[in-house]
Amino acid sequence: MTSAPPDDPTRWLLRPAVPRDLPALEALAHASAIGISSLPADRDALRQLLALSAKAFAGDDAASGEEAYLFVLEDLAQGGALVGTSGIAAAAGFHDRFYSYRNEFIVQASAELGARSRIHTLHLCHDLTGVSLLTGFHIDASVAHTLAPQLLSRGRLLFIAQFADRFSDRIAAENPGLSNDQGACPFWDGVGRRFFDMDYPAAERLGGGRMHKGWMAGLMPQSPIYVPLLPDSAQWALGQLQPVAELPFNILMDEGLDGDTYLNLYDGGPTADGRVALLKTVVRRRALQAVPGAAALPGPRWQLVDNGQQAGFRAMLLPRPPGHADRLVLPPAAAQALGWLPGEALWGAALDTPPAWQDATDGSTAA
Amino acid sequence: MSAVQVRPTRAGDLPLLRRWLPPGADLALPPPGARRDAWLVAARATGNQPLACLRLRRAIGLDVPRHWYHVGWVVHAAPELGLFHRLQTLQLGNDLCGASELADIAWQPGLDAAAQAAVLAPLLDAALQALRDAPALAGADDLLIAELPGLPGPRPGTGHTPFWQGLARPFYGGDPAAAAQRFGPAWRSHVATLMPRQPVYSAFLHASAQAAVGQPHPGVAVLAGLLRRAGLRQGSHIRIDDGGPVYTAPLDALFPADPATAIPPDTLPDDPPAP
Repeated sequence: MTSAPPDDPTRWLLRPAVPRDLPALEALAHASAIGISSLPADRDALRQLLALSAKAFAGDDAASGEEAYLFVLEDLAQGGALVGTSGIAAAAGFHDRFYSYRNEFIVQASAELGARSRIHTLHLCHDLTGVSLLTGFHIDASVAHTLAPQLLSRGRLLFIAQFADRFSDRIAAENPGLSNDQGACPFWDGVGRRFFDMDYPAAERLGGGRMHKGWMAGLMPQSPIYVPLLPDSAQWALGQLQPVAELPFNILMDEGLDGDTYLNLYDGGPTADGRVALLKTVVRRRALQAVPGAAALPGPRWQLVDNGQQAGFRAMLLPRPPGHADRLVLPPAAAQALGWLPGEALWGAALDTPPAWQDATDGSTAA
Repeated sequence: MSAVQVRPTRAGDLPLLRRWLPPGADLALPPPGARRDAWLVAARATGNQPLACLRLRRAIGLDVPRHWYHVGWVVHAAPELGLFHRLQTLQLGNDLCGASELADIAWQPGLDAAAQAAVLAPLLDAALQALRDAPALAGADDLLIAELPGLPGPRPGTGHTPFWQGLARPFYGGDPAAAAQRFGPAWRSHVATLMPRQPVYSAFLHASAQAAVGQPHPGVAVLAGLLRRAGLRQGSHIRIDDGGPVYTAPLDALFPADPATAIPPDTLPDDPPAP
């Protein structure tokens, strides 16, 4: 596979992270920005994350909800170098509650005054507790314009679809809100700072990266926040994305998640949510009749292909030939990458033809 | 030198009182023989010209609801991190409906502090005596309140006080003075239907609005002192339009008038300004 052309989508392979990925993951974590990463930059924490992930992928008993799955994206053309990582937490807020703000609108009227007002409010809620959470999307900026991010993000949905009983029927994904390089965050300044008396990075350090723990949310206002009372800068930041998060967010929007209902408690970024069964990749995923053969000529149509295994999960991008949607001719290199042997099952989910979502790849790196 | 007497308000007083009272104030005279409400003026014994007025209302807010913000506190704490915050909240409600009220207290502009005390003290004493003498009234609570106007804004008389601008204006963009003028005393009830029903953290308000919570207009210091002397104290409620404080007292905690502390009438100016 080392001879793949630079933009050949078959060079990317999604697989579970393993202990030997630690140094590469550490490098990726250090490249992330303040307040964005859910990937810890600390080596011991990463090692713990890898151990948790290994246990989750190896689990053959009933899922408890505590599982955290960590995936890595390999560049097969570069000897398997890691270019990205993403994850799934089986149940958000496991052992505690998962806090969000829910956007709600209250209409009040006075017939006598002839006045009517539609007031935007934020309600602290636990709605998303227990839903499966897409976490830690990081990708090397140099490959963000390729199809690699599609595999890195949507590949997780193939895994969830295959092992549905290990996940909730609903998923969510947090996306970072607006903040600058120094960590200044307009939503935090308008809301959280009034209750913590410190800036956002300091609060995050205080929380040890545990911003969703109950004790921290317990310091925030428990009654609805009336948005018109917030400073303009905080109002404008509601539901706004950190630019580096546009790529993964756009992919999730394309999958059919809703990005307008929930917000992150601390930076006001949108928390997308949706029903697993209604997601584009899940709906399209179907069994393939795979046969060994020569590599098809690359065309404009691609599909996500996975082997349906748990610990040995592999997914990659392969051409989608016209017609015969359920038939897949698998070249030896792809068969090897997927760990496929003749007679074994494979699953595929068609990707839309670019460039609708590919145009959104503007060098973004992390979310 | 003129002595002060307290008497019921008459129709002939209204042109003068109209100029003292804020826009939209109730100018209706209680019906003859009314046992529920009283409208009193303190007037010169000679000439009978009013110097101040006060309306006693009983069982308020039981026909048209009245609204106030209750000023409370919540504590947000994370002891393991040494974080402990006591935060003020404002909760819209009708807590004081059913109380009796000393309302529409106004006086002739230009009176100095001593003169204000000289006209307001007997007026207050008379109102409290009327309250003590009043027969039981169904629905009336054993509580007396008196609202004081809040901190004014840069343009007095417009209703655009710091508290209004900080909390009310995002919910009702209309002109409060115009609403008061148009709807009379019920205007606050109409505005209240547009105000936030859930507790509001004062920390979300502009600093000038926060500073106005429960702060009286500087021009009512003498009145506030007399209310305290009568046994009323600033309670936990504020007005919904300007954040002015509400003084309260259980009826059985009111102090009897003390003649020894009566203010001599010669503190009044000899010649009242022409109306």
